[in-house]
Amino acid sequence: MDMSKYRGMFLSETAEHLKKMSALLLALENDPADRDGIDALFREAHSIKGMAASMGYDRTAELAHHLEDLMDGFRQSGVVPPEAVDRLLAGTDLLEGLLEDISAERDEREIADFLTSPAPSKKEVEGTSVSVEPLPEKADDEQPEIEAEASEESSSEIVASGRLQLVIELAEDAAAPAARALIMLREIGRMGTVLNSRPGEEQLRKGEAARKIEITLQSDRSADEVRASLLVMADVERVGFAAPVAEPRARRREDGSRTVRVRTELLDQFINLTGELITNRYMLQTSVREESWQETRAGLDRLSRLVTDLHHHVLQVRMMPLESVTGRLPRVVRDLARKCGKEVNFCHEVADIELDRAILEHLSDPLTHMVRNAVDHGIESQGEVSVSAWREKDLVVVEVGDDGRGMDVESIRQKAIEKGLLSPVQARGLREREVLQLVCHPGFSTAAQVTETSGRGVGMDVVKAEVEALGGTLDIITSPGEGTRIQLKLPVSVAIIQILLVECDGKTLGIPITRVQRALEIERSEVRSSGRQMVVPLDHEMVPLISLNKVLKLPTHATGETVPVVVTEFRGRRLGLVVDRFAGQREAFVKTLASPLDRLSGVSGATILGDGSLIFILDPQALLDGGPGRATNRLVGEDA
Amino acid sequence: MGLKILVVDDALFMRNMLKDIFVRAGHEVVGEASNGNEAVEMYRELRPDMVTMDIVMPMKSGIEALEDINREFPEAQVVMCSALGQEALVLEAVQAGARDFIVKPFKESRVLEVVQRIAGGGA
Repeated sequence: MDMSKYRGMFLSETAEHLKKMSALLLALENDPADRDGIDALFREAHSIKGMAASMGYDRTAELAHHLEDLMDGFRQSGVVPPEAVDRLLAGTDLLEGLLEDISAERDEREIADFLTSPAPSKKEVEGTSVSVEPLPEKADDEQPEIEAEASEESSSEIVASGRLQLVIELAEDAAAPAARALIMLREIGRMGTVLNSRPGEEQLRKGEAARKIEITLQSDRSADEVRASLLVMADVERVGFAAPVAEPRARRREDGSRTVRVRTELLDQFINLTGELITNRYMLQTSVREESWQETRAGLDRLSRLVTDLHHHVLQVRMMPLESVTGRLPRVVRDLARKCGKEVNFCHEVADIELDRAILEHLSDPLTHMVRNAVDHGIESQGEVSVSAWREKDLVVVEVGDDGRGMDVESIRQKAIEKGLLSPVQARGLREREVLQLVCHPGFSTAAQVTETSGRGVGMDVVKAEVEALGGTLDIITSPGEGTRIQLKLPVSVAIIQILLVECDGKTLGIPITRVQRALEIERSEVRSSGRQMVVPLDHEMVPLISLNKVLKLPTHATGETVPVVVTEFRGRRLGLVVDRFAGQREAFVKTLASPLDRLSGVSGATILGDGSLIFILDPQALLDGGPGRATNRLVGEDA
Repeated sequence: MGLKILVVDDALFMRNMLKDIFVRAGHEVVGEASNGNEAVEMYRELRPDMVTMDIVMPMKSGIEALEDINREFPEAQVVMCSALGQEALVLEAVQAGARDFIVKPFKESRVLEVVQRIAGGGA
C-alpha cells in the first residue's frame, strides 16, 4: 500500500496536534495542576503516536510515546512541574523537527539524545535550551548561490558580466499578480536565461502573489533595453536593478493556512450560480417595486432553488473520500497484529463514500482507535477485522467489525459495579444494549492489562465524545462467538443541519434531526406512570418521559388531548422529551457559541430564523447529563 | 498593420465593446464566438492572429477552448478576458498557455497595449 499519498494529511494533522500541545503546555505553566489540561495534553501526544505509528514513522512515534509516558506520570501526580514543561516543549520542538524531515522526505533525525537525557534540573534550564540539540536548520536549500555572490559585490548594480539583477514592481491594483508575474517571467525568458527568481516559478504557479519580483537574468542585452521592454507590459510599475535583499527567514514557516483543491468546473458553476443570483436579485427588486406579487413569488421560488443549488455545490467543495482516512488502516492492522503475535485479515470496503473534510479530520483518530481495539481486544489469535461504510438516508454509517469472541455483557455489568459506575440494582435493570454503552464511559476499560495500543483510558469514551461532537451516534452490536461491530452514524456535512423546532413555555428551541428518533403526538390517555416515572408504550417497550420544560426549569403546561414527544436516545436507551408544541423542521446554519455562552450545558449552538429571532440548538444528551463536566458521574436512571 | 482578431465571449455586449475598441485601432475582427466549442471551430477556420477569450462560458469554458486551440496550434496567441476576483482561473489559463490576460471592466488603453505587444512579439 502506498502511504505517501497520506503524508500530506498526516503532516497537517500532526502539525495541528503539535500546535495544540504547545498552547496547552504554556497554559499548564500558569496552572500546573489543571486536570483537564493534563488529560488533553496526554491525548494529543497519544494521537500523534498513533498516527505516526500507522504511517511507519518510527522515531516520531517513539518520541510521542515518550512524551505520552511523561504525561501519564503527571496524570498520576496531578501536577506538571515547571522544568517538565520545558522538557515537554523541547520534545514538541523535536517533534516539529521530525515533521520537517518527513515533509522534506529525508530520514527522521536522531532522537536518542533527547530520550536518554535526564529531565533537566531547574538551573540547567535557565541557562541554555535544555539538552536537546537545537534543530539543524536547513537554511540554504532554497536560497541559491546568488546571494553569496551578491554579497561580494553588493554595491554594484550589475552583477558579473551579462548578469542582471532585476527588481520588478507591479502596480498596486494589478489584478491576478501571480499570473502577471508568470507571464513576465516568460517574456523575460525570451531576452536571456532566467537563473533565479523570487518568488520562484513554482510558487507563482501555486498562486503565491507578489507585487515585487526579483529576477537574476543572464542576457546580452543592456539594462536599459531590458527595462524598456518590461515597462510596456501591463501592470509593471517599476523596474530596478539591484543586489538582492536577503529575505527575513521568518517567512519560511508557512502559517499552515489550509487549502482545498477544487475542480475548476466546480468553480465555474459557482460563478454561474452567482450570476444567476444577481439576476434573480434584480428580478425581485423590480417585481417588488412594481408590487407584482405573482412575479415576486416566482422570484422567491427561484431564489430558494438557487440557494439549495449553491448549498449543494459548497458541500461538494468540502467533500473528501473516506478512503483518505481509512487508507492507512491496513498498515495499522498489520503492524499491530505482528506486535501482538496475531494473525489478522483486514477487509476494507468504503468505496465512493465521501464526507465533509471537517468530519473526516476528526474521524481519523477515533477510527484508528477502534481498529486497534478490534485487533487488540476483539481478535484472540487469528481472525478478521473489517471497516466498511455505506449511506443510510442522510447519514453515512462507518462500521468497524471483528469476528472475535464478542463482548461479554455480564462481565461489563460486573465491572461497572466494581468501578462504582452503577449500583447493583441499576446494573440489573439495564438492557444489553445499554450495558454495552458503558464501555464508552471514561475510564472504563475491559482490557485486563495496559497495552501500548489501547487501554490506558484513552478509549471508547474519547471515540464516542468525538463522534457525538460531530453530530453522530455510536452503536455497539455484539454476539458471543460471532464478534463485535461498532457502528458510527455520521452526518455527511457540518454547519448546515436539519433541525426540529419545538416550543417550551413560548420559547422556540431547535433539536438536531440526527438526535431525534421520532417526533410524535401521543394521546394523553396513553401515558402511564411507573412508580414516579411517566412512561409511554412504544413498539412493545416502555419509554420513560421527561418534560423538556422541567429540564430547562421552565413552567410546564399540561393542556390538550395529545402530548408532543420527541423520542431521542440517551446512553443507549430511548427517552421521550415532552414539549409544548412542535414548530416545524428546517435547515439551519448553526453557529457555535462564543464564551461565556459556550459554557451553557446542553446548548450546542444557535441559529437565526427567517424572522430574525435567535434560537438555541439543544444537545439532548449533554442537556440530560447536566453539562459536559458532570457527564461522567451520573447515569440517568430512576431519577429521570 | 492591423491584426485579425477572433473575439470570444458569451455576452454580446462584451463582444461589441471589444470589437469597437479593436476596429477603432485599425484591427479587424474576423469572427465572434459565444462559447468554447464555437471558438475552437472558428479558430480552425479563420486562423486569426489573436484571440480574446472569455474564461467563464457555457458548453466549453475558455480555458478548455484555450487548451484545445493550443494543442492544435501551439503558436496561437490567446488573451484571456477575466473579471476581478478570478485570479485562480487566470493563473490556470496562463499556465495552460494563455499569452496574456485583460481584466474587465476593460480599459481601452490596456486592451490595446496587449494587442500592441502581441503584434510586436509575433513579428
